[in-house]
Amino acid sequence: MPREIITLQAGQCGNSVGSQFWQQLCLEHGINQDGNLEDFATEGGDRKDVFFYQSDDTRYIPRAILLDLEPRVINGIQTGPYKNIYNPENFYVHKDGMGAGNNWAAGYARGAQVEEEVFDMIDREADGSDSLEGFMLLHSIAGGTGSGLGSFLLENLNDRFPKKLIQTYSVFPGQQDDVVVQPYNSLLALRRLTQNADAVVVLDNGALSRIAADTLHIQEPTLQQTNRLVSTVMSASTTTLRYPGYMHNDLVGILASLIPTPRCHFLQTSYTPFTGDNVDAAKTVRKTTVLDVMRRLLQPKNQMVSTKPTKNSCYISILNIIMGEADPTDVHKSLLRIRERNLASFIPWGPASIQVALTRTSPYLHPPYTSRVPPRVSGLMLANHTGISTLFRRIVTQYSLLRKRNAFLEQYKREEPFRDGLAQFDEAKEVVLDLIREYEDAERADYLTGGVGGESSGEATNGGADARTDGVTGR
Amino acid sequence: MEDEDASVYTEAFARNGLPRGGAAQARDSPRLFAVSDAPVPARPKAHAVQMPAAPVELDGALLPTESALLRDLPFTLQGLSSTNLAFSDKNSLKLPPTLPVPILSLLHTLAEPSLLYRSLSEFVESSEGGLVGQSLRAAIGLELRSYLGLVATLEGHIRRALSQLDENAPNGGLGKAGVTLKRCVIWTREATLGLRLMSLIVDSSRGKKGGELISLIHNFSSSHGDPFVHTFAERLLTHITRPFYSMLRAWIYDGELEDPYLEFFVQENQEHEDSGATSVWEHKYRLSHAMIPSIVTEEFANKVFLIGKSLNFIRYGCADSAWVESYSKDASRELTYGDTALLSSSIDEAYNTVMQRLISLMENKFALFSHLQALKKYLLLGQGDFIALLMESLASNLDRPANSQYRHTLTAQLEHAIRNSNAQYDNADVLRRLDARMLELSHGEIGWDVFTLEYRVDSPLDVIVTPWASKQYLKVFNFLWRVKRVEFALSTTWRRLQTGARGVLAAVSDKLGGDWKAARGGMAEMIHFVDQLQYYILFEVIEAGWEGLQKAIRKPDATLDTLISAHAAYLRSITRKGLLGGGAIDFTAQLHELLKIMLAYKDAVDGLYSYSVAEFTRRQDVAAKIDTRTKAGKWGLTEADEDENVTATLASPLFPPGAGRRHLDSPAPPLLPIPGGVEGEKNMLEQLRLRMAALGVEFKSKVAVLLGDLAYQPDVDMRFLGVVMNFNEVYAPVKRRRGGAAAAAAAGTARKGDERGKEG
Repeated sequence: MPREIITLQAGQCGNSVGSQFWQQLCLEHGINQDGNLEDFATEGGDRKDVFFYQSDDTRYIPRAILLDLEPRVINGIQTGPYKNIYNPENFYVHKDGMGAGNNWAAGYARGAQVEEEVFDMIDREADGSDSLEGFMLLHSIAGGTGSGLGSFLLENLNDRFPKKLIQTYSVFPGQQDDVVVQPYNSLLALRRLTQNADAVVVLDNGALSRIAADTLHIQEPTLQQTNRLVSTVMSASTTTLRYPGYMHNDLVGILASLIPTPRCHFLQTSYTPFTGDNVDAAKTVRKTTVLDVMRRLLQPKNQMVSTKPTKNSCYISILNIIMGEADPTDVHKSLLRIRERNLASFIPWGPASIQVALTRTSPYLHPPYTSRVPPRVSGLMLANHTGISTLFRRIVTQYSLLRKRNAFLEQYKREEPFRDGLAQFDEAKEVVLDLIREYEDAERADYLTGGVGGESSGEATNGGADARTDGVTGR
Repeated sequence: MEDEDASVYTEAFARNGLPRGGAAQARDSPRLFAVSDAPVPARPKAHAVQMPAAPVELDGALLPTESALLRDLPFTLQGLSSTNLAFSDKNSLKLPPTLPVPILSLLHTLAEPSLLYRSLSEFVESSEGGLVGQSLRAAIGLELRSYLGLVATLEGHIRRALSQLDENAPNGGLGKAGVTLKRCVIWTREATLGLRLMSLIVDSSRGKKGGELISLIHNFSSSHGDPFVHTFAERLLTHITRPFYSMLRAWIYDGELEDPYLEFFVQENQEHEDSGATSVWEHKYRLSHAMIPSIVTEEFANKVFLIGKSLNFIRYGCADSAWVESYSKDASRELTYGDTALLSSSIDEAYNTVMQRLISLMENKFALFSHLQALKKYLLLGQGDFIALLMESLASNLDRPANSQYRHTLTAQLEHAIRNSNAQYDNADVLRRLDARMLELSHGEIGWDVFTLEYRVDSPLDVIVTPWASKQYLKVFNFLWRVKRVEFALSTTWRRLQTGARGVLAAVSDKLGGDWKAARGGMAEMIHFVDQLQYYILFEVIEAGWEGLQKAIRKPDATLDTLISAHAAYLRSITRKGLLGGGAIDFTAQLHELLKIMLAYKDAVDGLYSYSVAEFTRRQDVAAKIDTRTKAGKWGLTEADEDENVTATLASPLFPPGAGRRHLDSPAPPLLPIPGGVEGEKNMLEQLRLRMAALGVEFKSKVAVLLGDLAYQPDVDMRFLGVVMNFNEVYAPVKRRRGGAAAAAAAGTARKGDERGKEG
């Protein structure tokens, strides 16, 4: 009874990230290109069944559903080296193969058309799991399919699986993205991410290509190279699920400590060090220590999101997943050092700290199974930081600019969601503004008590005062 | 005693030998000179020369003559009575009363070896004492034989001299013949010294045996300046250590104790009862320090002890006598006194071989490490997926009272958890030992309190995983299991709230949004606490301890004792640092109290959730009614509806039976019975709010106390826990006044938890 997770890959970005992700998982679990275990893959200790199931002929099949409205990327996967691992019934390419043309509305509307087919696939996968933990959606929010179809999926998963966790890995547009209408698409998708997802791992293209450029020393990293970064982050953030240890063995275990209030569920990530194993031709980092890793994880340049934190911005929570030969005493020292030097500031309204999960890594990433020696220690930081609202703010600003000019609205109006007007946009903007406000509130000490429930909070303090007097006289 | 020994000792080796008895002196010092008719003296040290009762008549005939005395002398020296010199009893020699003083004095001197010989030969012929004692006897017998040789030679001389006697010469011409009493004194002088020494040894050896005896003689050889004494003692040592070395040999090569007289420094423990391997290793044999002869060092003795003990253990505990036999055949060699280099090299060799064998047996045949690993994986919750599964599948069972728990359900769930987690890949032998059971039942408990996992370890591994260790494991497991349970409960509720926020909870946020925010804040606080606590215990304490254990075990010179003590240290550090006692402050009780508050809080949050769901459904119903009525052209809402709806919602599963019981444990205001109607509904919400707020405050203040206590711990790691729990300094740690009312109050509220802690 593993806590299975079903991966949904939507659109061009989602599918190419996904295919990298599955390759990475196969490598880590010693699964070959046909889905069979490699002969050497005898060392137990890993859980393959969270992300894979075994077919009747005992091959490992990813619990993945690949969706796209145009065939290019999926064709690539179906002819690629790992084509045989997927369940062929889990590919869905829209019949007309036209794509969504970078139009959220088109993607969303196509989604509605193919709902039955797609959810048949999802239900089939869900029925095949013993205790489904939740879903993982991979997509980008700038384009048409990932954004639009993704939004549609989120809304419907919400209705159909009200008790399952929905996590997304969402690639946000960078500042110089070539899709003109991306602010529209992003805003509309962001609304669904806010309302219909439980956790969103935010990755932004700008930061990704910056990091790729930094580590690879190339001016213009290819899409594949940046996607590789995303799949690395994904595989790292699921390590504790796949290599069970003391803690964080299920998605709830990871997320519960990261997300105290449901709205603030946008997580940013940092990863270090990127080396040859993760990204081809990355420079080698000579010596990695736990302190090194933990310090670097806090540096803005290693964040996979470009935010512009204000001086009030702070961490709501941090989870560092440290992989490799990490000595607990090193972690101990690093934490004290970070605290001493005030390298991270935290919320004022509740206890928050750097959670650490020490985890094993796959033995198959080490020689003799690979030629390269992996870094001694590597780390992934999943953080809930209020500064992320600046990213949303940017999207709203860009949207407002575009909207003021009524630019490019025609293609949206043609699609079903906008038949009755552009209310969708306004609602989405409202939701996102709310979200931004929530994050800004979270920077204040009265976050939990201030705001909505004036009456109740007054009583709460009364009750509290009573209990406190009791406590005092008790002493 | 010592003084007396010392004085005897100095007297014995004084220039003039043992004091000779003047009549007066003899009476004055009864310690050394026993009166002839006295009973056997307490210290059979004294040799008495019985003095003539009447004063010597100087003017009387010089009878017997010196030559007559000379003729009798050899007999006297052999301890036989003769006409002139008769042994009146075994400790005294009767001198003829008619002799002049100079002769008497000579005879005095000669009487000493005679009396010594007598007592020594008596000693030699006796048969009590152990093997070492017997060999001492044999060695002394040998010495006495050479003394007899001397006497024989002396007799030859005397005979020859007497045959040449010239009756006319003054004093019978004895002076010319060259044999006089004086000469005889000179000739027997060295022998007398030897006899004196032996007699001293014999005397001080009384009541001593084995190692002590060897030490005694070795003391003569090592700490006496007289080369004569030294060589003499060395000679004795060579003989008397023989039985010791043969015992040593049997012990270090066969692991057998061949010691009928308990003379060896390793002794079988008489009280030991054959109750399992622990006692075989720890208690079957003991090192008797008094019996360690001074020819070996303490360290050497310890090594020897360990070697033999290990061999014995290998043979009987590990049932590997074949190896012991072949080892004994290969390695065994003769050990003798004096060859120190060979001795120490063979001991070292034996030590290394045996220790390696024992460790490798433990490691390979009995898979020690895989069992330790298993203990860590299952009892210390290392195998997270297994534990999660077990908890999930047992949760509903364990919520029920302890007396409705059935062993077969527990084992079935255990089986299930094993089958479905990575535990299934573990060794069958390991899994076979895993068992789920209930602790001794006590009243009013629920399943959670009595459930426990057990890992059975049998002989000979229970030498390392002793009953004490098993108990520690159990203790740690029960604590971790409790923490895990709270984590599990909080996670479950968190998931409900999180997914609920996408639907139901969002719909009622207008009314309950503030409550939810506060509730979530509390939840987050507790989740943070539990996560930090777990991280600390699992990584800082258990993992770090495990590292230490690994290191200690992998050391090249590890012995079974190192393993045992390393394992014990590992467990001790876990229980101490794991806040499970062993310190001045009872952390266990505090933690249990906190965990209980968290569970109560979680229940309250669940209550709020149910309330929200009820509110949500009510709104939907109302909306639906309004809808239909409006369609029918009536008023959407009537006053009667409100009451009706409210009562309907009150039947909601807000407070499951059993929830109330837990509230009683807590000082927070208990929930009142819920009255019906709108008032009741309002009340319920009020109660929930009050309760959550109170629990929240209680939690915070208890955490502050805990942090205060942690901050003043001497242990760095424990202070660290205090730091990470309060990383962003939202709590103000309360410094506890020593012995103040605070402690009493804390103890009062913590008593309940304390009791539970003890059961664990």
